Amino acid sequence: MKTLFWGSVLFCMALLLHLVIWKVHIPQRQTKALLRIFFGILTMGILTLWITSSLITSFSLLSPKSFPEYFHIFLFFTSLTLGYIITYPGVEADSPSLLIVMKIAKSTPNGFGKEKLFDMLTDDLLIKPRIRDLVNAKMIYIDGDKYKLTVRGILFVRMFILYRKLLNLPKGG
Amino acid sequence: MYSFSYLQIFVSLIALVIDIFVQIFSFRFILRLGLLKSVYLGFVAGFFGIFLIEFYIVSTRLILINNNFIFILIANLVIYISLEYCYFNFVNLGETARRIRILWELCDSKEGLSVAEILERYNAKDIIEKRLSRLINHGQIICKDGRYYIGNSTMLLIARIIVRMKLILLGKKSEFE
Repeated sequence: MKTLFWGSVLFCMALLLHLVIWKVHIPQRQTKALLRIFFGILTMGILTLWITSSLITSFSLLSPKSFPEYFHIFLFFTSLTLGYIITYPGVEADSPSLLIVMKIAKSTPNGFGKEKLFDMLTDDLLIKPRIRDLVNAKMIYIDGDKYKLTVRGILFVRMFILYRKLLNLPKGG
Repeated sequence: MYSFSYLQIFVSLIALVIDIFVQIFSFRFILRLGLLKSVYLGFVAGFFGIFLIEFYIVSTRLILINNNFIFILIANLVIYISLEYCYFNFVNLGETARRIRILWELCDSKEGLSVAEILERYNAKDIIEKRLSRLINHGQIICKDGRYYIGNSTMLLIARIIVRMKLILLGKKSEFE
Protein backbone atom coordinates (compact mmCIF):
# COMPACT_ATOMS: atom_id res chain seq x y z
CA MET A 1 0.00 0.00 0.00
CA LYS A 2 2.80 2.44 0.90
CA THR A 3 4.59 1.91 -2.42
CA LEU A 4 1.43 2.28 -4.49
CA PHE A 5 0.25 5.31 -2.53
CA TRP A 6 3.44 7.33 -2.14
CA GLY A 7 4.87 6.30 -5.51
CA SER A 8 1.65 7.43 -7.24
CA VAL A 9 1.43 10.69 -5.24
CA LEU A 10 5.02 11.64 -6.06
CA PHE A 11 4.57 10.73 -9.75
CA CYS A 12 1.39 12.80 -10.03
CA MET A 13 3.14 15.76 -8.35
CA ALA A 14 6.00 15.50 -10.85
CA LEU A 15 3.55 15.34 -13.78
CA LEU A 16 1.69 18.38 -12.47
CA LEU A 17 4.90 20.39 -12.05
CA HIS A 18 5.95 19.35 -15.56
CA LEU A 19 2.64 20.60 -17.02
CA VAL A 20 2.85 23.90 -15.12
CA ILE A 21 6.44 24.57 -16.24
CA TRP A 22 5.57 23.69 -19.85
CA LYS A 23 2.68 26.18 -19.81
CA VAL A 24 5.08 28.95 -18.73
CA HIS A 25 8.03 28.06 -20.95
CA ILE A 26 8.97 24.93 -22.92
CA PRO A 27 12.68 24.28 -22.37
CA GLN A 28 14.98 23.75 -25.33
CA ARG A 29 16.33 20.46 -23.98
CA GLN A 30 13.05 18.93 -22.96
CA THR A 31 14.20 15.44 -21.98
CA LYS A 32 16.91 16.81 -19.70
CA ALA A 33 14.37 19.15 -18.09
CA LEU A 34 11.95 16.25 -17.55
CA LEU A 35 14.65 14.17 -15.84
CA ARG A 36 15.48 17.08 -13.53
CA ILE A 37 11.84 17.71 -12.64
CA PHE A 38 10.90 14.09 -12.00
CA PHE A 39 13.99 13.05 -10.08
CA GLY A 40 14.02 16.35 -8.22
CA ILE A 41 10.49 15.65 -6.98
CA LEU A 42 11.46 12.07 -6.12
CA THR A 43 14.49 13.17 -4.09
CA MET A 44 12.60 15.89 -2.23
CA GLY A 45 9.63 13.60 -1.72
CA ILE A 46 11.65 10.76 -0.21
CA LEU A 47 13.59 13.16 2.03
CA THR A 48 10.33 14.74 3.19
CA LEU A 49 8.80 11.34 3.91
CA TRP A 50 11.85 10.33 5.92
CA ILE A 51 12.00 13.56 7.94
CA THR A 52 8.24 13.73 8.63
CA SER A 53 7.74 10.01 9.17
CA SER A 54 6.37 10.31 12.73
CA LEU A 55 4.13 13.25 11.76
CA ILE A 56 2.63 11.23 8.88
CA THR A 57 2.03 8.28 11.21
CA SER A 58 0.30 10.55 13.74
CA PHE A 59 -2.26 11.39 11.03
CA SER A 60 -2.94 7.64 10.64
CA LEU A 61 -1.29 7.65 7.23
CA LEU A 62 1.10 4.93 6.14
CA SER A 63 4.68 5.98 6.31
CA PRO A 64 7.60 4.00 4.89
CA LYS A 65 9.81 2.87 7.73
CA SER A 66 12.65 0.79 6.29
CA PHE A 67 15.19 1.09 3.50
CA PRO A 68 13.52 -1.67 1.37
CA GLU A 69 10.24 0.27 1.51
CA TYR A 70 11.91 3.50 0.38
CA PHE A 71 13.74 1.59 -2.34
CA HIS A 72 10.48 0.05 -3.54
CA ILE A 73 8.93 3.53 -3.81
CA PHE A 74 12.03 4.66 -5.72
CA LEU A 75 11.69 1.70 -8.12
CA PHE A 76 7.96 2.29 -8.63
CA PHE A 77 8.42 6.00 -9.34
CA THR A 78 11.48 5.46 -11.57
CA SER A 79 9.74 2.84 -13.71
CA LEU A 80 6.75 5.14 -14.32
CA THR A 81 9.07 8.08 -15.00
CA LEU A 82 11.19 6.16 -17.50
CA GLY A 83 7.99 5.00 -19.22
CA TYR A 84 6.82 8.60 -19.54
CA ILE A 85 10.19 9.97 -20.66
CA ILE A 86 10.68 7.28 -23.30
CA THR A 87 7.22 8.14 -24.69
CA TYR A 88 7.92 11.86 -24.75
CA PRO A 89 10.09 12.05 -27.94
CA GLY A 90 7.11 10.53 -29.77
CA VAL A 91 5.04 13.50 -28.62
CA GLU A 92 7.78 16.06 -29.26
CA ALA A 93 8.55 14.97 -32.85
CA ASP A 94 6.02 14.06 -35.53
CA SER A 95 6.28 10.33 -36.24
CA PRO A 96 6.39 9.59 -40.00
CA SER A 97 4.10 6.56 -39.59
CA LEU A 98 1.51 8.59 -37.73
CA LEU A 99 1.81 11.45 -40.26
CA ILE A 100 1.23 8.97 -43.10
CA VAL A 101 -1.77 7.41 -41.36
CA MET A 102 -3.32 10.84 -40.58
CA LYS A 103 -2.90 12.00 -44.19
CA ILE A 104 -4.42 8.79 -45.55
CA ALA A 105 -7.32 9.06 -43.07
CA LYS A 106 -8.04 12.65 -44.20
CA SER A 107 -8.17 11.53 -47.84
CA THR A 108 -11.00 9.02 -47.23
CA PRO A 109 -12.85 7.91 -49.37
CA ASN A 110 -10.62 8.80 -52.36
CA GLY A 111 -7.44 7.28 -51.00
CA PHE A 112 -3.96 8.82 -51.03
CA GLY A 113 -1.34 8.42 -53.77
CA LYS A 114 2.27 7.48 -52.96
CA GLU A 115 3.76 10.30 -55.06
CA LYS A 116 1.78 12.85 -53.07
CA LEU A 117 3.29 11.40 -49.87
CA PHE A 118 6.79 11.88 -51.29
CA ASP A 119 5.92 15.48 -52.21
CA MET A 120 4.54 16.29 -48.76
CA LEU A 121 6.99 14.41 -46.51
CA THR A 122 10.40 15.66 -47.58
CA ASP A 123 13.90 15.62 -46.10
CA ASP A 124 13.21 19.12 -44.74
CA LEU A 125 10.33 17.69 -42.71
CA LEU A 126 11.63 14.25 -41.79
CA ILE A 127 15.43 14.36 -41.54
CA LYS A 128 16.78 17.87 -41.04
CA PRO A 129 14.77 18.62 -37.87
CA ARG A 130 16.10 15.39 -36.33
CA ILE A 131 19.67 16.45 -37.12
CA ARG A 132 18.95 19.74 -35.33
CA ASP A 133 17.51 17.79 -32.35
CA LEU A 134 20.71 15.75 -32.11
CA VAL A 135 22.81 18.93 -32.10
CA ASN A 136 20.57 20.44 -29.37
CA ALA A 137 20.85 17.23 -27.34
CA LYS A 138 24.65 17.42 -27.70
CA MET A 139 24.77 13.98 -29.33
CA ILE A 140 26.47 15.42 -32.43
CA TYR A 141 28.41 18.56 -33.28
CA ILE A 142 29.36 20.30 -36.48
CA ASP A 143 32.99 20.46 -37.58
CA GLY A 144 33.26 22.54 -40.76
CA ASP A 145 30.46 21.15 -42.87
CA LYS A 146 30.56 17.66 -41.31
CA TYR A 147 28.55 16.36 -38.43
CA LYS A 148 30.37 14.16 -35.94
CA LEU A 149 29.39 12.25 -32.83
CA THR A 150 30.09 13.55 -29.35
CA VAL A 151 31.11 11.11 -26.61
CA ARG A 152 27.49 11.11 -25.40
CA GLY A 153 26.29 10.31 -28.92
CA ILE A 154 28.81 7.46 -29.29
CA LEU A 155 27.82 5.87 -25.98
CA PHE A 156 24.12 6.28 -26.72
CA VAL A 157 24.16 4.80 -30.23
CA ARG A 158 26.48 1.93 -29.27
CA MET A 159 23.75 0.55 -26.96
CA PHE A 160 21.43 0.22 -29.94
CA ILE A 161 24.12 -1.05 -32.31
CA LEU A 162 25.11 -3.74 -29.79
CA TYR A 163 21.49 -4.80 -29.29
CA ARG A 164 20.73 -4.89 -33.03
CA LYS A 165 23.91 -6.92 -33.70
CA LEU A 166 22.97 -9.32 -30.90
CA LEU A 167 19.71 -9.95 -32.73
CA ASN A 168 21.49 -9.98 -36.10
CA LEU A 169 19.29 -7.13 -37.31
CA PRO A 170 20.25 -4.48 -39.89
CA LYS A 171 20.15 -0.72 -39.39
CA GLY A 172 16.69 0.51 -38.57
CA GLY A 173 14.92 3.75 -39.39
CA MET B 1 5.64 -15.05 10.19
CA TYR B 2 6.92 -12.12 8.17
CA SER B 3 4.82 -9.50 6.39
CA PHE B 4 7.55 -8.46 3.99
CA SER B 5 10.25 -10.18 2.00
CA TYR B 6 13.39 -8.53 0.65
CA LEU B 7 13.08 -10.71 -2.44
CA GLN B 8 9.75 -9.01 -3.20
CA ILE B 9 11.57 -5.71 -3.83
CA PHE B 10 13.53 -7.21 -6.70
CA VAL B 11 10.83 -9.41 -8.23
CA SER B 12 10.03 -6.97 -11.04
CA LEU B 13 13.73 -6.56 -11.94
CA ILE B 14 14.22 -10.34 -12.01
CA ALA B 15 11.12 -10.62 -14.20
CA LEU B 16 12.56 -8.01 -16.58
CA VAL B 17 15.80 -9.99 -16.89
CA ILE B 18 13.76 -13.14 -17.68
CA ASP B 19 11.75 -11.12 -20.21
CA ILE B 20 14.83 -9.79 -22.03
CA PHE B 21 16.57 -13.17 -22.02
CA VAL B 22 13.52 -15.00 -23.41
CA GLN B 23 12.95 -12.29 -26.03
CA ILE B 24 16.53 -12.32 -27.33
CA PHE B 25 16.83 -16.10 -27.18
CA SER B 26 13.52 -16.79 -28.90
CA PHE B 27 14.13 -14.25 -31.65
CA ARG B 28 17.68 -15.31 -32.30
CA PHE B 29 17.83 -19.02 -31.76
CA ILE B 30 14.69 -20.94 -31.11
CA LEU B 31 11.37 -20.08 -32.64
CA ARG B 32 12.55 -17.55 -35.23
CA LEU B 33 9.71 -15.30 -34.27
CA GLY B 34 9.19 -11.84 -35.65
CA LEU B 35 10.62 -9.10 -33.44
CA LEU B 36 7.25 -7.99 -32.09
CA LYS B 37 6.10 -11.53 -31.26
CA SER B 38 9.38 -12.23 -29.45
CA VAL B 39 8.83 -9.10 -27.33
CA TYR B 40 5.32 -10.31 -26.44
CA LEU B 41 6.69 -13.77 -25.60
CA GLY B 42 9.34 -12.20 -23.35
CA PHE B 43 6.66 -10.12 -21.61
CA VAL B 44 4.53 -13.19 -20.90
CA ALA B 45 7.56 -15.11 -19.61
CA GLY B 46 8.46 -12.27 -17.23
CA PHE B 47 4.85 -11.99 -16.11
CA PHE B 48 4.74 -15.67 -15.18
CA GLY B 49 8.12 -15.22 -13.53
CA ILE B 50 6.62 -12.70 -11.11
CA PHE B 51 3.89 -15.10 -10.03
CA LEU B 52 6.33 -18.01 -9.71
CA ILE B 53 8.65 -15.99 -7.48
CA GLU B 54 5.76 -14.66 -5.38
CA PHE B 55 4.49 -18.23 -5.01
CA TYR B 56 7.97 -19.28 -3.88
CA ILE B 57 8.03 -16.46 -1.33
CA VAL B 58 4.68 -17.48 0.06
CA SER B 59 5.32 -21.22 0.09
CA THR B 60 8.83 -21.20 1.56
CA ARG B 61 9.07 -18.08 3.67
CA LEU B 62 5.79 -18.39 5.42
CA ILE B 63 4.64 -14.91 4.50
CA LEU B 64 0.96 -14.33 4.95
CA ILE B 65 -1.11 -13.59 1.90
CA ASN B 66 -2.55 -10.48 3.47
CA ASN B 67 -3.37 -6.99 2.18
CA ASN B 68 0.28 -5.95 2.40
CA PHE B 69 1.35 -8.88 0.20
CA ILE B 70 -1.39 -8.12 -2.36
CA PHE B 71 -0.46 -4.42 -2.55
CA ILE B 72 3.23 -5.24 -2.95
CA LEU B 73 2.32 -7.70 -5.72
CA ILE B 74 0.27 -5.02 -7.50
CA ALA B 75 3.13 -2.53 -7.16
CA ASN B 76 5.54 -5.12 -8.61
CA LEU B 77 3.21 -5.75 -11.55
CA VAL B 78 3.02 -2.00 -12.24
CA ILE B 79 6.83 -1.73 -12.04
CA TYR B 80 7.29 -4.71 -14.34
CA ILE B 81 4.76 -3.47 -16.92
CA SER B 82 6.37 0.02 -16.90
CA LEU B 83 9.87 -1.43 -17.34
CA GLU B 84 8.64 -3.79 -20.05
CA TYR B 85 7.05 -0.80 -21.80
CA CYS B 86 10.48 0.92 -21.66
CA TYR B 87 12.12 -2.17 -23.12
CA PHE B 88 9.49 -2.40 -25.86
CA ASN B 89 10.20 1.23 -26.74
CA PHE B 90 13.96 0.57 -26.70
CA VAL B 91 13.44 -2.26 -29.22
CA ASN B 92 11.13 -0.05 -31.27
CA LEU B 93 13.57 2.87 -31.26
CA GLY B 94 16.29 0.64 -32.67
CA GLU B 95 13.86 -0.50 -35.37
CA THR B 96 12.29 2.82 -36.41
CA ALA B 97 13.90 5.92 -34.85
CA ARG B 98 15.38 8.39 -37.30
CA ARG B 99 17.76 9.88 -34.75
CA ILE B 100 19.21 6.45 -33.95
CA ARG B 101 19.72 5.77 -37.67
CA ILE B 102 21.42 9.14 -38.22
CA LEU B 103 23.68 8.49 -35.21
CA TRP B 104 24.49 5.00 -36.57
CA GLU B 105 25.44 6.44 -39.97
CA LEU B 106 27.70 8.97 -38.24
CA CYS B 107 29.21 6.20 -36.08
CA ASP B 108 30.14 4.31 -39.27
CA SER B 109 31.85 7.38 -40.73
CA LYS B 110 34.91 8.34 -38.72
CA GLU B 111 35.41 11.52 -40.79
CA GLY B 112 31.86 12.67 -40.13
CA LEU B 113 29.14 13.35 -42.69
CA SER B 114 27.73 16.49 -44.26
CA VAL B 115 23.95 16.87 -44.56
CA ALA B 116 24.13 15.82 -48.22
CA GLU B 117 26.14 12.71 -47.29
CA ILE B 118 23.66 11.80 -44.55
CA LEU B 119 20.81 12.16 -47.05
CA GLU B 120 22.60 9.89 -49.54
CA ARG B 121 22.56 7.16 -46.91
CA TYR B 122 19.19 7.84 -45.32
CA ASN B 123 16.45 10.11 -46.59
CA ALA B 124 12.71 10.81 -46.63
CA LYS B 125 12.10 8.41 -49.53
CA ASP B 126 13.65 5.51 -47.57
CA ILE B 127 11.59 6.42 -44.54
CA ILE B 128 8.30 6.57 -46.43
CA GLU B 129 8.95 3.29 -48.30
CA LYS B 130 9.79 1.47 -45.06
CA ARG B 131 6.85 2.93 -43.16
CA LEU B 132 4.38 2.11 -45.93
CA SER B 133 5.68 -1.46 -46.07
CA ARG B 134 5.38 -1.84 -42.29
CA LEU B 135 1.90 -0.31 -42.18
CA ILE B 136 0.70 -2.60 -44.98
CA ASN B 137 2.24 -5.71 -43.36
CA HIS B 138 0.46 -4.93 -40.09
CA GLY B 139 -2.83 -4.22 -41.87
CA GLN B 140 -2.93 -0.59 -40.71
CA ILE B 141 -3.28 0.61 -44.32
CA ILE B 142 -4.28 -1.14 -47.55
CA CYS B 143 -3.20 -0.41 -51.12
CA LYS B 144 -5.79 -0.54 -53.86
CA ASP B 145 -5.10 0.54 -57.47
CA GLY B 146 -2.00 2.42 -56.35
CA ARG B 147 -3.82 4.41 -53.66
CA TYR B 148 -3.70 3.94 -49.91
CA TYR B 149 -6.63 3.59 -47.52
CA ILE B 150 -6.96 3.04 -43.79
CA GLY B 151 -7.22 -0.64 -42.85
CA ASN B 152 -7.11 -1.51 -39.15
CA SER B 153 -7.61 1.78 -37.29
CA THR B 154 -5.28 1.10 -34.33
CA MET B 155 -2.51 3.36 -35.64
CA LEU B 156 -5.06 6.06 -36.45
CA LEU B 157 -6.32 5.92 -32.86
CA ILE B 158 -2.74 6.14 -31.54
CA ALA B 159 -2.10 9.11 -33.88
CA ARG B 160 -5.15 10.92 -32.52
CA ILE B 161 -4.09 10.29 -28.91
CA ILE B 162 -0.59 11.61 -29.64
CA VAL B 163 -2.08 14.74 -31.27
CA ARG B 164 -4.17 15.33 -28.10
CA MET B 165 -1.07 14.93 -25.95
CA LYS B 166 0.80 17.43 -28.16
CA LEU B 167 -2.05 19.92 -27.73
CA ILE B 168 -2.01 19.52 -23.92
CA LEU B 169 1.77 19.54 -23.47
CA LEU B 170 3.01 21.71 -26.33
CA GLY B 171 -0.05 23.75 -27.25
CA LYS B 172 0.10 22.65 -30.91
CA LYS B 173 -0.86 19.65 -33.05
CA SER B 174 2.42 19.38 -34.93
CA GLU B 175 6.07 20.33 -34.41
CA PHE B 176 5.79 22.31 -37.68
CA GLU B 177 3.00 24.63 -36.51
